[in-house]
Amino acid sequence: MNVKMGVDIGGVTLKNPVMTASGTFGYGEEYADYLDLNRLGAIVVKGLSLNPREGNPPPRIIETASGMLNAVGLQNVGVEEFIDKKLPYLRTIEPAVVANIFGESVEDYVKVAEILSDAEGVDAIEVNISCPNVRRGGIAFGSDPVLAGEVTRAVKGVSRLPVIVKLTPNVTDITEIARSVEAAGADALSLINTLIGMSIDIERRVPHLGHVTGGLSGPAIKPVALRMVWEVVKTVSIPVIGVGGIMNVSDALEFLIAGAWAVQIGTANFLNPSVAADIVDGIERYLSDNNLDDIHDLIGTLRI
Amino acid sequence: MKPDTCAAVFSQKEEVKGHFLMTVKAPASFRKAIPGQFIMLRREGGNTPFLSRPFSIYSMYSQGDDTFVEILYKVVGKGTEAFSRLREGDALDILRPLGRGFDVPPACRKIVLIAGGIGVAPLSFLAQRCGRNIRGAEIICYLGAGSSETLAGLDRLEGICSAVEISTDDGSRGYPGPVTSLFKRDRDLYADNTTRIYSCGPRPMLRGLQELLKGRPGVCQVSLEERMACGIGACLGCVVRIRPDGAEGSLVRVCTEGPVFDIRDVEFGE
Repeated sequence: MNVKMGVDIGGVTLKNPVMTASGTFGYGEEYADYLDLNRLGAIVVKGLSLNPREGNPPPRIIETASGMLNAVGLQNVGVEEFIDKKLPYLRTIEPAVVANIFGESVEDYVKVAEILSDAEGVDAIEVNISCPNVRRGGIAFGSDPVLAGEVTRAVKGVSRLPVIVKLTPNVTDITEIARSVEAAGADALSLINTLIGMSIDIERRVPHLGHVTGGLSGPAIKPVALRMVWEVVKTVSIPVIGVGGIMNVSDALEFLIAGAWAVQIGTANFLNPSVAADIVDGIERYLSDNNLDDIHDLIGTLRI
Repeated sequence: MKPDTCAAVFSQKEEVKGHFLMTVKAPASFRKAIPGQFIMLRREGGNTPFLSRPFSIYSMYSQGDDTFVEILYKVVGKGTEAFSRLREGDALDILRPLGRGFDVPPACRKIVLIAGGIGVAPLSFLAQRCGRNIRGAEIICYLGAGSSETLAGLDRLEGICSAVEISTDDGSRGYPGPVTSLFKRDRDLYADNTTRIYSCGPRPMLRGLQELLKGRPGVCQVSLEERMACGIGACLGCVVRIRPDGAEGSLVRVCTEGPVFDIRDVEFGE
């Protein structure tokens, strides 16, 4: 049975609702030996800044119960080198290319967005207003509805590409941020980014991470991510992309049923590099087994 | 063709106290390994432990259509503890040989290995390959351990190397003291262009070795270890600072630009 898996996320057409999450899939080519990249709906690349960024000193990661903390600190090659050295490969493959961007000021975000708007092969911009690992910029934007709206409006003002805004869960009321960002013109939302956490080495009595705190990801955060996606879906009219602890097709289906139009697979890629392709297959099988023609027959069908 | 990731435990035994030798039946598609490379390994299914763990390849060989990978590891935490309880037939997820291995120039005639504890694993694989591929190579190993009870990998090395010099921190066997002190005694024998030094072990030991070799001729490569999540260069979790020419350098990935580096370039930190 041929099922229709295509979704339109604020102007970007994806052949299926499965994307890979920023920071977990490099710039795509790293995974080329492990799965057929053309199975994916979209690849979201590592967050890009105006200038190359070294990131935090090690240690940068630590395993936690059913998850991990990371304090990588947004190490990236910078937007110019991305366009010169990484984008050419991405142009040769089918998935939509989403460029995740961040900055320390609204001006930074705008400059990066402008440069990417003109780059051939980029299909959408994902604005990271939520990364908890930078000392300035990131956390402030994502936690304040006014600032979140301001950066969204500014990026929308210069971008010729659809703008997806990625929200942080480290707030009191994520629906407030969502509403503000939608009003400011975002074409879609993705949530959640990592939850801020910590881990301590009891032998040496120091934090496990050089940065002290880091972002928690993996199965441990799925219930929080799912709840927030459900809440935001009820609040906004623009498409919502669900992220957070999706490890297999069953997890992905929960988010789609809750109303997400697409999902991003992140930490799961570390355990199984081909998991995102497996999830595409699994969603197709589920639709077929349940006599659903089209992915839209599944999205948002949660019954309460 | 995409490589398989399904493997299984073929055998496992405790070599010396707290140190295990596991033989893994690897996927048929497994590529050849270069000494110094590692695999990412995980018990199939379940979330505890969560991430895969990196293990240096101790040996790799084919038997008929089957490929086997050996790892020699020490139980140091949750992950290795869980591995030590696996038995024959247990299913594993595995990633193929990863990273940059040791480089042995064709003109090399004398190979010196300095192993600290479980650092012996990749060096033993190197010794095996050199012993097989380089005619007339002299392979000398300095093998350090905490005590004679935890001296791992000795038998295999004795079968391959021209000489094995042993040191134990507690003096229960061989030279009493760190392996770097033992090496220091013979250091002057190895300062020429046909000799290459290779080392693997705890960071403090490698930092000490870097000091011992500072300003002296001759090349030494080290294999580093760092916590990893993906093992394939995507997550940027496993970085180390590498400073070629002593400049500020950059943070590079132990899993991809490494795990083998020139000892002179590594910033060992505190």
